[in-house]
Amino acid sequence: MTPSSVALNLALSFAGLAALCLAMDRHHRAILSGAPSRLRAQALRWTGWAGILASFAAAVVTSDWNFGPVQWLGSLTGAALLLVGLVSYRPGWIRPAAFLALPLAAAAALLA
Amino acid sequence: MRNGFRQSMAWLHTWAGLVTGWVMFAVFVSGTATYYRTDISLWMRPELHAGAVDPVQAAERGVAYLKERAPKAVSWFVSVPQEDRPVIGVYWLDTLESPISQAMLDVETGAPTTARATQGGDFLYRFHYQLQMMPLVGRWIVGLCAMVLLVALISGIVTHRRIFADFFTFRRDRSAQRGWLDAHNVTGVLALPFHLMITYTGIVTLGFMFMPWGITTAYKGDGMTFYVEGAQSPSWRPAAGRAGAAQPLAPLIARAQAEVSEPLEMVIVHNPGDANATVVVVFEEPKGLAHHHPQIAFDAVSGAVVERLPAMKPAAHVFTSFLGLHEAHFAGPALRVLFFLCGLMGSATIATGLVLWSVARQPKRGAAPGFGLRLVQGLNIGTILGLPIGIAAFFLANRLLPVALDHRATWEGAVFFGAWLLAALLPLARPHPRAWREMGLLAASLFLAVPVVSAITTHRGFDFLWFDAAMVGLAAVLGFGAHKVSGYTGARPAAAAQSQNKLARA
Repeated sequence: MTPSSVALNLALSFAGLAALCLAMDRHHRAILSGAPSRLRAQALRWTGWAGILASFAAAVVTSDWNFGPVQWLGSLTGAALLLVGLVSYRPGWIRPAAFLALPLAAAAALLA
Repeated sequence: MRNGFRQSMAWLHTWAGLVTGWVMFAVFVSGTATYYRTDISLWMRPELHAGAVDPVQAAERGVAYLKERAPKAVSWFVSVPQEDRPVIGVYWLDTLESPISQAMLDVETGAPTTARATQGGDFLYRFHYQLQMMPLVGRWIVGLCAMVLLVALISGIVTHRRIFADFFTFRRDRSAQRGWLDAHNVTGVLALPFHLMITYTGIVTLGFMFMPWGITTAYKGDGMTFYVEGAQSPSWRPAAGRAGAAQPLAPLIARAQAEVSEPLEMVIVHNPGDANATVVVVFEEPKGLAHHHPQIAFDAVSGAVVERLPAMKPAAHVFTSFLGLHEAHFAGPALRVLFFLCGLMGSATIATGLVLWSVARQPKRGAAPGFGLRLVQGLNIGTILGLPIGIAAFFLANRLLPVALDHRATWEGAVFFGAWLLAALLPLARPHPRAWREMGLLAASLFLAVPVVSAITTHRGFDFLWFDAAMVGLAAVLGFGAHKVSGYTGARPAAAAQSQNKLARA
């Protein structure tokens, strides 16, 4: 439940949710260009769920079964709120932010 | 079910949400603030400085004060200073039925503190579950509204069926109603696990008040035994009726500390001065979700251990975990921010839902709004902006009321309600969309004024940087909201009016 473990959680949740968001036609059109191919959408969807699962695993490993699930759900809410804000006001930032989240997660993991 | 399941649920969601919305908004906002109750209390007593204290010495000072102040009380409670609460809190019960009395003692001297009289964060905390009414009435109202809110939450999941298709969507560039609906869905859905958890566990905390009959029947009215068997408190030892000389406190605490690794939290003395007096040493919660404090009870006269609080049975463990989840005492600073954010989102879900009701019923251009709509509009603005205005005024009153004022703590509460009432009445005299803007700007300026006034009236430098930052943040949110709202609650353009039916079903 240390700040770095919450940061790790937020970063992984954000990356995962961003991929899930991009897997949807409407958002892919708005954020990148055109609808994603079926293969691409599927890859994004798998990546997204993998990110969310990784976030859950990270929460349980760093904060135990006691607080891990609570922290995981909280981080999903926080990350999703940021993502919706970006989709609506700064869609161009989403792809760089999702890529930036990965090294941030790695850095937080080293500290956690 | 004339119109099918989803329509029935939509009806239920609309009306369950509307009738409880105002109360639950107040409960959500004050509850969200309560995540920072100790920080608010610290800010509201700027005379106090945090510092290292020997907890045992503090407990002795508290007991010494109570010996003087309330020698005939049935129970004394001394809470030792914490890093975020640098006072000795003493509480006592004159009889088992009497209300609890309390005082705050200076850590160094053990005399009543010279810090200004204030209810601190406890004001918002108590308001959260009893609305500053007679305790039982307030709790019943909050509890009943929470139950209806749970109904509104679940029917809402059914009603807004596109929540997954629209999961990441907030269309602020379409019609006003679409914007409000998306805002309602986004804040509702993204924090849905929190909303369900907090509403359900909130009802659970009041569960024994709603349904006391199980305990009444099983324990023949002896509720105390229930809590003893549930490992919530050690058994009550009745007074012997004759005086007894108590052992010194420090060695008893030291023996308890040798058994428990958690920090000392509180020392309780039941039937002080009696031959059957009991000293209960209470420790902080061990790491875990459950709201459960280790406790060891001593016979105050012989010094023998009478009872160690046993491990909880599964049912008690589940119950105290629900309480723990609701109160989130376990949450460190980072996780606490997320809880706070979720609380704000819950408040926003309710607020946007209330506004949506009135926006969806906006009359055509030129037509006069009916009484129901005007009532809802008035209550909306009076609650959604009136309550924050009340809170900001409450903080300002803490800095501006004279420290020597009689009943100062009560006056702070009076300012809170007075400002809220004014803020609710004033907009009734103003044209509707403009009233939102004006009151929103007023609320924002009041929150901005808090750090300024505090800097002028106290000399704490940057000690409260986070509190000040939070005030500025709230001012920004309210100012931004006021700016947005004024553009979005006016009469709908004709094109948007046509799509209303479609939207109502989405």
